[in-house]
Amino acid sequence: MRKVGVRGWLLHDVTHRGITAWLLAAVIFAFYIVLYFGGQYGIPDLVSPWAEQLGLSSKWVLYGALYSAAIVLGGFWMLWKYRHNRYQVVRTLVVMVVQVTLGFSVPQMLKHAGQPEYYFSYLWPLKIDYFYPYNITGLPWPYVVYSVVGALVMVPVLGVFFGKRWYCSWVCGCGGLANTAGEPFRHLTSKSTPAWRFEKVAIHTVLIAALLATALAIGSALLPEESPIVPVAGKYREFYGIIVGGILSGVIGVGLYPIGGTRAWCRNFCPMAAILGLVQKLGRFRIRVKKDMCISCGLCSKYCEMGIDVRSYAQANQSFTRASCVGCGMCAEVCPRGVLTLENVTRKDPQEAVRRAPGRASLPIIT
Amino acid sequence: MHIVIVGNGIAGITCALDARSRDASARITVVGGESEFFYSRTALMYAFMDKMNRRDLEPYERDVWRKRNIGLVTDWVVDHDAEKREVKLAGGKTLTYDVLVLALGATANVPDWAGLAETKQGVVNFISAQDLDACEALVPKAGRAVVVGGGLIGIELVECLMHHGIATTFLIREPYYWPAALSREESQMVIAHLREQGVEVVVDESVERVESTGGRFNAVVTKSGKRYAGDILGVCIGVRANLERMKSWKSAPASRRGIIVDERFRTNLPAVFACGDCCEIERPGRAPLIETIWYSAKRHGALVARNVFGDDVAYEPPVFFNSSKFFHIEFTTVGEVEYAPAGTPTIFRHRSGKHVCQRIVHDGTRVIGFNMLGSRWDNEVLARWVEERRSPTWVLRHLAEAQHDVELGRMNLQAFDEVNIPLAKLGSPPHA
Repeated sequence: MRKVGVRGWLLHDVTHRGITAWLLAAVIFAFYIVLYFGGQYGIPDLVSPWAEQLGLSSKWVLYGALYSAAIVLGGFWMLWKYRHNRYQVVRTLVVMVVQVTLGFSVPQMLKHAGQPEYYFSYLWPLKIDYFYPYNITGLPWPYVVYSVVGALVMVPVLGVFFGKRWYCSWVCGCGGLANTAGEPFRHLTSKSTPAWRFEKVAIHTVLIAALLATALAIGSALLPEESPIVPVAGKYREFYGIIVGGILSGVIGVGLYPIGGTRAWCRNFCPMAAILGLVQKLGRFRIRVKKDMCISCGLCSKYCEMGIDVRSYAQANQSFTRASCVGCGMCAEVCPRGVLTLENVTRKDPQEAVRRAPGRASLPIIT
Repeated sequence: MHIVIVGNGIAGITCALDARSRDASARITVVGGESEFFYSRTALMYAFMDKMNRRDLEPYERDVWRKRNIGLVTDWVVDHDAEKREVKLAGGKTLTYDVLVLALGATANVPDWAGLAETKQGVVNFISAQDLDACEALVPKAGRAVVVGGGLIGIELVECLMHHGIATTFLIREPYYWPAALSREESQMVIAHLREQGVEVVVDESVERVESTGGRFNAVVTKSGKRYAGDILGVCIGVRANLERMKSWKSAPASRRGIIVDERFRTNLPAVFACGDCCEIERPGRAPLIETIWYSAKRHGALVARNVFGDDVAYEPPVFFNSSKFFHIEFTTVGEVEYAPAGTPTIFRHRSGKHVCQRIVHDGTRVIGFNMLGSRWDNEVLARWVEERRSPTWVLRHLAEAQHDVELGRMNLQAFDEVNIPLAKLGSPPHA
């Protein structure tokens, strides 16, 4: 840790794109490539033997356990670091509990009980195969109802009332890892305009690709087997799985942590984040900016893991809703002047009522 | 029309950006020697504490200036000729203007302590990017530091030095911290917090002389004869208008403590405006106004941007507000707390065992100001209550509406002890 006269942690190699950070990134890259593609393309499967040694049914169970451990350990660190901020404490606890239960142990218990290994915390289009015909027809009906109602009703409705954060930074495992074990790297996300341009194109491209994959899968199930669409749909589904499910969410999504910040997947590629972002723009969530109090220090922008230039809104006295904002609340936490606050705008909010009150003249003077 | 703005701090840059929003065709040039690009001075401490890189201190992307067609010149102005309407730069260039805006900013007060002039190494201010360079160069070899001055910049420097593991003595001339803005109870809370953080806080002591060997700072000796040793001496005893460079100009605008301007920020020279920390605003029938905070500089710059185009808008400061952070204690002040005399009735709310308090200052019938520490408050709501002349009982009933804490973390206002006490403060002038 810090010693007398030593420059602090930001300039540390690991958190500052130094040689250790690059090495760490390379290790994570290699791990994910072996995990996803081991046993194919001539890549050795190094993870399965470990899972066997430990008596686990597959490498994915081992991966799930490691992933959960990272979130729990990182989570305890978060709880300590932000113990003064109740939003962070509650949010981190929820993320930890959801990962350990819905994200790991519940599916394993279901499997042991002879049920399908079903992840209630992942929904279409993030978990795109829950809409694929083999799941729709193969799963027991309560799971199918949850898949469909969850994705098409619960996600957007909660999104309207609470913004995309209810999922992206309270439930989702991808966000969970970013906001716990990924915490030391959150400031590395690029805040540049080119990065924002890339984000807008990339995330909507993946969304269209996901919609296309779903449409082709369902279409090919309805079409006769000899239709030329069927093999194309199959190939496309495989391609989508490798590119989006493997490379973008795993290899790049986590591998980039020490180099490009924690939310590369969530920001640029996640189709669920794309949908929730569009819902969020129409919904009630926003970041409120206190008038005239910003000192343009830029801590909010620096520590935004989604690369939002929060300062540009704060210094312009502009409350805002950005599609990419996952509502992690860190801009409000780091602001030294308490300028920012996350809120779901409701008509019942007394502060809002005060703000909307008519001019001074109509108010009684000294009551 | 060519608008030349001297100074690329918050006043000058706000003026440039607002002038551009107002007029698409005017030629706008900003001359500033301190840094190539505008940076947020208020965030210097976060760069020092390694929470940010230098580049992160720049509030605008660098291509904004090209996109908004604002010329930046990194240079110092060495001469000004009001008749020819031109300024000469240290690099030899000459700029001809139609309107000149002087946003020269402020510079650190230099004390007259014996031995200070001979101390060439180890003495720092904490105002400019160059000060930060100096601080960063000293940190690796320093074990102890002494910071003199009981104001905002002093406490920021103390926090930075402590962050780097440097044992720091904070020397305050008054009996308590920042008496210009805080009264006794708040100040005691802040000092208790500083001591918890490991800072050696010394109050009611002023510097007699500075000791050095071979030009390197050793120690300060106070008037009571105590000696405080260190490797770094932070001098944070306030700021004054930065008028030094102006003295060699052929035509310098009239100045006293700052460049004298009217309520439209016009100096005595034609087509020359001044704004921000460097100006002293003359107001008929009222005391001249010197404002040296971030928020006022921003307001000045915005108003000058209108007046240079002939809008003729007089400056009227809004209900006063300011904010700060003393290590972990956030501070919001609104209204007339700084200028309220000792003895003014107040309602003081404090939560025992925690560094959180609220002070509502009133004149018996209406609330005139707030000093809030340790939790977050919406200055806009508080200022409106002052404007609306709300009564203390009304304000107490509605206090929760002005809270601005994080979601789920709203401070429970029921848990506070509430007492009516007169304002206890000193009459000494503001320090920093």
